[in-house]
Amino acid sequence: MKKYDYIVVGAGLAGLAASVELALAQKKVLLIEQHNLPGGCSSSFVRGRFEFDPSLHELCGVGPESDPGEVRAMFDRYGIKIDWKRVDDCFRVITEDSDGNPMDVTMPAGRDAFIEKLDSYVPGYRDKIENLFRLFDEVNDGIAYVSRPKYSLPKVMIKYTDLLKVGAKKVDEVFDALELPQKIRDILSTYWSYLGVSLDSLSFAHYASMVSNYIAKGAYIPAKTSHEISVALAEKFRELGGQMIFNCRAESFIFEGDKCAGVNTTLGEFRADCVLANINPDIIYGKMMDQSLIPEREKKLSNARNRQFGGRMFTCYLGLNKTAEELGIKDYSIFMSSYADSVKEYNSLKKIDTNKYSIFLCYNVANPGFSPEGTCVCSFTKMYTSAEDWEKLSAADYFAMKERIAKEMIAQLKDKAGIDLEPYIEEISIASPWTFARYLNAPEGAVYGYETRDWDDIMSRNMSLATDYPIKGLIPIGTAGPRGDGYSSALYCGYQLASIAMSKEGK
Amino acid sequence: MPYGVKLKGLGGNDMKEFAFLPKTRDAIIASAEAKDVDGEFIINQKAKALHPDYQALTVREIIDHVDAKTYILGNEDGSPVAYFKAGQYLSLQFIIDNSIITRPYSISSSPQWSLLGKYAVTIRRNPGGFAADKIIDTLRTGDKVIASAPEGSFFYDPIRDGKSVIALAGGSGITPFLSMAYAIRDGIEDFNLTIIYGSRDDKSILFKDELKSITNDCAKVKVVHVLSEETRDDCESGFITAELISKYLPSNGTCSIFMCGPEAMYNFVGKEVEKLGIDNKFIRKELQSVTKDVASQPGYPADCKDQVYNVKLIRGNAVYEFSASANEPVLVAIERAGIAAPSRCRCGECGWCRSKLLKGNVFIPEGTDGRRKADKDYGYIHPCASFPVSDIEIEVPGVYTE
Repeated sequence: MKKYDYIVVGAGLAGLAASVELALAQKKVLLIEQHNLPGGCSSSFVRGRFEFDPSLHELCGVGPESDPGEVRAMFDRYGIKIDWKRVDDCFRVITEDSDGNPMDVTMPAGRDAFIEKLDSYVPGYRDKIENLFRLFDEVNDGIAYVSRPKYSLPKVMIKYTDLLKVGAKKVDEVFDALELPQKIRDILSTYWSYLGVSLDSLSFAHYASMVSNYIAKGAYIPAKTSHEISVALAEKFRELGGQMIFNCRAESFIFEGDKCAGVNTTLGEFRADCVLANINPDIIYGKMMDQSLIPEREKKLSNARNRQFGGRMFTCYLGLNKTAEELGIKDYSIFMSSYADSVKEYNSLKKIDTNKYSIFLCYNVANPGFSPEGTCVCSFTKMYTSAEDWEKLSAADYFAMKERIAKEMIAQLKDKAGIDLEPYIEEISIASPWTFARYLNAPEGAVYGYETRDWDDIMSRNMSLATDYPIKGLIPIGTAGPRGDGYSSALYCGYQLASIAMSKEGK
Repeated sequence: MPYGVKLKGLGGNDMKEFAFLPKTRDAIIASAEAKDVDGEFIINQKAKALHPDYQALTVREIIDHVDAKTYILGNEDGSPVAYFKAGQYLSLQFIIDNSIITRPYSISSSPQWSLLGKYAVTIRRNPGGFAADKIIDTLRTGDKVIASAPEGSFFYDPIRDGKSVIALAGGSGITPFLSMAYAIRDGIEDFNLTIIYGSRDDKSILFKDELKSITNDCAKVKVVHVLSEETRDDCESGFITAELISKYLPSNGTCSIFMCGPEAMYNFVGKEVEKLGIDNKFIRKELQSVTKDVASQPGYPADCKDQVYNVKLIRGNAVYEFSASANEPVLVAIERAGIAAPSRCRCGECGWCRSKLLKGNVFIPEGTDGRRKADKDYGYIHPCASFPVSDIEIEVPGVYTE
């Protein structure tokens, strides 16, 4: 039996990045994937003459060539070329502000342009807005500094004092301390759904790093759907000598004593010194190993997390037989919600009947060549903050429910933005939490993993790295990890935990 | 103060709170119960029931037709099989002469039946073909058949499609429309369906009685039989032409044209449908296979016709070598060599057979090239719709049911 240095289970972005990192370090690596192609969420599917991106809205952390973010830098280091297309605007948001008035705001990308626009919507607070952006800078610079292998604590204490002050704080608490007027907060809160946690419970530093990255460096999408990212990483891994097996599902982990020594799969048994599993820990512990081998702290951690998952996604994909211009689509993304207030909105997303949230997206606005000439591709996405209604649904009612929700979203766009797509739909496909559960095996189809909230936010997770991975030879990677959810987070998580795995082995 | 940030009311205590984050987290974890972790989730279970990796079914009943048979497949204990949208297909796996082969068949029964634990599929004889006749001659009641989950996107979508549908069926292409007709009758789907069904003569009409009974029960479904080799008062004669279709187009409201039948039917009826001047979005085709005459496809390198090429195939740690006819898709050569390889739609569309072409060249007819854009850049092909035009080396994924 061939023995590997590492087995990576799951070729989602974290698994792919981890595999490439390990292979770059000359390790003998096997990557297995339950599906017939790499990527997990980062994938694509074809219907008729259209190719759809199942999950990507826009990537954070790419940045322009002149000012690369961590994702672009990572791909440069791997020698992978992706044809990135820039998204010019941050967002348009149509909702009800905290005073109960209608709100329709469009925000451009670019720090100066964003500040200018914010100042024009809510005049008289320019000093407060600039104060916020100075804090963004300090938080980002400070986190980058402490992420170095060596840093000086006194320097942190002197130079990044405000990072230390806000490090444990939630977004709402810091907005209070910045004395931002409610109208500005209503606009700034728009991105909350990208992390899936309302702003009373979400780490400010987490939110700040994402929002300021989108604003300052801009958002990007790959020209040929996110499958382009996954297949590029997979091919790089092969080129580095890695072995990859598709249609191969891990069923259980093999233990020798208290050390994980391999994986039993649908295609047989594979052995390695260490396994990196791109699988939610509840599934690993609950279904793939003997409960007696789970350290008590890990059992308690799972129970403390209490299945509070984020991002039970619902997406409607449309291939339209008219161009974006012909359909009157000007914005890349339109966030439509009932309330600007993230707490009220989060609560309304629990039930199918009360969930009126939807993000509309048109890929061709950022990438005119995304679909054949004379056409465009759009999507609507919403998420559910409770599993309940999707648990109750029966298979026989399932298709009609998907159609009902998709119809609501299409009607909502017509009503709120005056864009009528219905007569031009040539292809339609609808994915629900069941669909994401099917393709990813993620618990409840929740693509964000455990919510990054309160005591389990990413600041707390990162500061607990030393205690969080206690099982010898088995490291869960992915959204439950120190970076939480999102494309750039998943990629970074793969890199980070592969490095940790190698350093543990070094000891 | 290099950054000059003003934060009202935050100070030393908040810095302490930050430093204590891991301890706070530890305390919360420590206070949780150490009970066993539950790895079962209802949504995941329901998703799995709707989309199982495969279904191990039994042939419960066989119904004879002229040159075709209908097989009732199901769970022996009557427990539900995976639910589906009328129009979807099952990919069935058979072992014939030591070859593991899979073929897609549209489900002809009502989605209602799946709740009772059964599906119906119809297999028509195909003299000279690789699989159909052998399956019909060997499959018996009580035999086990491995089926995929219901697959495919040839179904009615109330958001996309017209309020009415005219279904053009040829031969066994009637099966998805029979399922749709049942679904309308059973209240599962809601649209007006007119099936225009071309057959040679009265006796070769499949499901004549079933169709009659549905139209008797349900006013939303109409059936028009078109016979090419017989004249009868209750049927149209000749072929399915634009003129004939026009007679049945609804006078108001949007209308979609759905087509399902053999390649020869598309070659003729496809051109007739074009004459109607209907917006392309209202025209949908279910292909039953890729072309049987690849050499006639535009762009085909003529000197490759009838050639035989060598194939080197890698699957996991195993390597196989065999030959392949230029006239057949790579997937058929793999099956003839007795190697299990993933396959579902067999017309280039679904991508389930996605494989890496390591060396050599293939010809992919444009109409059935369903590859992802980035896959084209990295040399991935769908063997079910790729024809060898040189010696090739290919890496294929595994199959779940082994």
